[in-house]
Amino acid sequence: MKRIITFILLSLCMVCRLAGQGDEEEIPRSMNEGTLLGFGTSNIKDTYLSPFNYNGWGARILNERMKTISAGKGRFSRQQIINVDITSTKNPAENVNDFGAFVDYSLSYHYRIPIGSSFKLLTGLSAHLMGGFIYNTRNGNNPLSAKVDIDLGLSVMMLYGLRIKNLPLTLRYQAELPFGGIFFSPPYGISYYEMFNEGNTSDVIAFNSFRNKFAMKNYFTVDIPIRRFALRLGYLNSLYYSDTNEINTHIISHSFMIGWVKEFIVLGGKRSNNKSRVNSSYY
Amino acid sequence: MIRYITHILCPAMLCISLSGCEFEDEYNVSPRRNFESLWKIIDENYCFFEYKSVDWDSIHAQYSQEIEEQMSDYDLFRRMSEMLDELQDGHVNLQSSNMGVSSYDGWLRGYPSNFNTDVLRNTYWSRSQNYNDIIKHNRIVDNQIGYIYYGSFKESILEKDLDNIFSTFSYCRGIIIDVRDNGGGSITNSDRLASRFLSEKTLCGYIRHKTGKGHDDFSDPYPIYLSPSHANLWLRPVIVITNRRCYSATNNFVSKMKVLPNVTILGGRTGGGSGFPFTSELPNGWSIRFSTSPILDVDKQHTEFGIDPDIEVELTDEDIKENKDTLIEEAIRILLN
Repeated sequence: MKRIITFILLSLCMVCRLAGQGDEEEIPRSMNEGTLLGFGTSNIKDTYLSPFNYNGWGARILNERMKTISAGKGRFSRQQIINVDITSTKNPAENVNDFGAFVDYSLSYHYRIPIGSSFKLLTGLSAHLMGGFIYNTRNGNNPLSAKVDIDLGLSVMMLYGLRIKNLPLTLRYQAELPFGGIFFSPPYGISYYEMFNEGNTSDVIAFNSFRNKFAMKNYFTVDIPIRRFALRLGYLNSLYYSDTNEINTHIISHSFMIGWVKEFIVLGGKRSNNKSRVNSSYY
Repeated sequence: MIRYITHILCPAMLCISLSGCEFEDEYNVSPRRNFESLWKIIDENYCFFEYKSVDWDSIHAQYSQEIEEQMSDYDLFRRMSEMLDELQDGHVNLQSSNMGVSSYDGWLRGYPSNFNTDVLRNTYWSRSQNYNDIIKHNRIVDNQIGYIYYGSFKESILEKDLDNIFSTFSYCRGIIIDVRDNGGGSITNSDRLASRFLSEKTLCGYIRHKTGKGHDDFSDPYPIYLSPSHANLWLRPVIVITNRRCYSATNNFVSKMKVLPNVTILGGRTGGGSGFPFTSELPNGWSIRFSTSPILDVDKQHTEFGIDPDIEVELTDEDIKENKDTLIEEAIRILLN
């Protein structure tokens, strides 16, 4: 147990250290930022609430930022994704609703491996934080199942640039796979009354690994440049399974994404005053 | 290395294979399927099998043979309800939008009602102030006794309104809290009232929860404390009047009040219902509520079948004829002596 905690803390320190190094770079590097809306299907099961699958729709908004950092002479890049997901699903008899809301944030550092002129492979680690809940409209004393996860995971991305006639396109496939962390994991039959009114929270946090949790995100996008921006179309498949304390949960969603991407340079105060490099309308 | 890869791949394959199975959970009106689903939910979650010496397997064998694929929803609902009645638990309810709610009421049989609303309206509630339809308060016996009737803990009362009520009782010698026919509601509401009657944090009971699907899989008892309210406290004599219809959160209220030093429980045995209920559902959309976490008294004893009063008093026909409530009159006599 101590080894797992040490590993998680060291990995987080490494991620933070890499984040700090990014600020020392002199040459401005562009930030790729995309904001996408997604709509699709959602399939939820949480045996704390019901033994059955609930099916319905989901909507999400996702913001991602990606930038190369100075560490490793530009061979590393940092990616941050904030994702807000809401779902409305119904039980098989379609007389009860589950409403879900989840917010997750991931910070990834990738090592960039160019393969040829148009293909890049990025591999790295990600730190992931997720919080949310599933609310069942019928249940009396067990209406809610809360989700809080803090994970470390693997992140792999493939970028491929191609041209169709004169139109340059960028294809991307990305997979995120958490391999360990901690999560909110209440005992089998405990009530939220016992946990939060009476304060019995002694066994509600557990370590997770592949033995009790499997989560994965598969993300396909294509960027189509339109004037000064790019249109990003995509598909996001999110899988979340957990099996702990005899409570089974899955949250599966398929979302079709659409949004816009811009590429810009963020300048700190010192560099923004360097008028020989940047012609700033403000300074 | 191979072992590590196996550790990664096996759960992944398991999840993928499970995800294939998930979609078998479809709407299903088969009586057999729904019966088995109900039996299993109770089997894995119900908390009083051992305490009540219920052999759930033999109950399955007994009722299963009467389930036929051709039976109507009405017959299925009735047979399922009869099976659930074997648990002798008012917190076990099957509910359907077209069949209504099944509710075991065997716990009421053999007990006097000890409650007559006509008498209360005519004599004790006649000049009472109504907080709402459920909560009434009054000063009786020449303003010497404060009287609160709390008819359902589903109704909440604000702290500031409780302050106002207790302010009007400030010159009274004692208070009567009448919770007869209060079938329960929210423990938060009952605790809000109970927290007015103690001066320091007090151990009032214990709660356990299921830790697995086995009938004996329980956590250790976890202590439940009641803390005093930050507002006006009442530390003079209190009498809580009860009858058999004091159930669930009201049973819990009585269990907590019984521990407090200035409190006397008077009337009839409460109805019980000490299992904290959860809700689940069947493939046809019917919902099922069942007790999952037993709440124990301060001596770690079950109160599922009720709590005896400190002083047992029954409502008499003679008093009813005179528009008197025997229980309230006895409470007044004790408080004034």
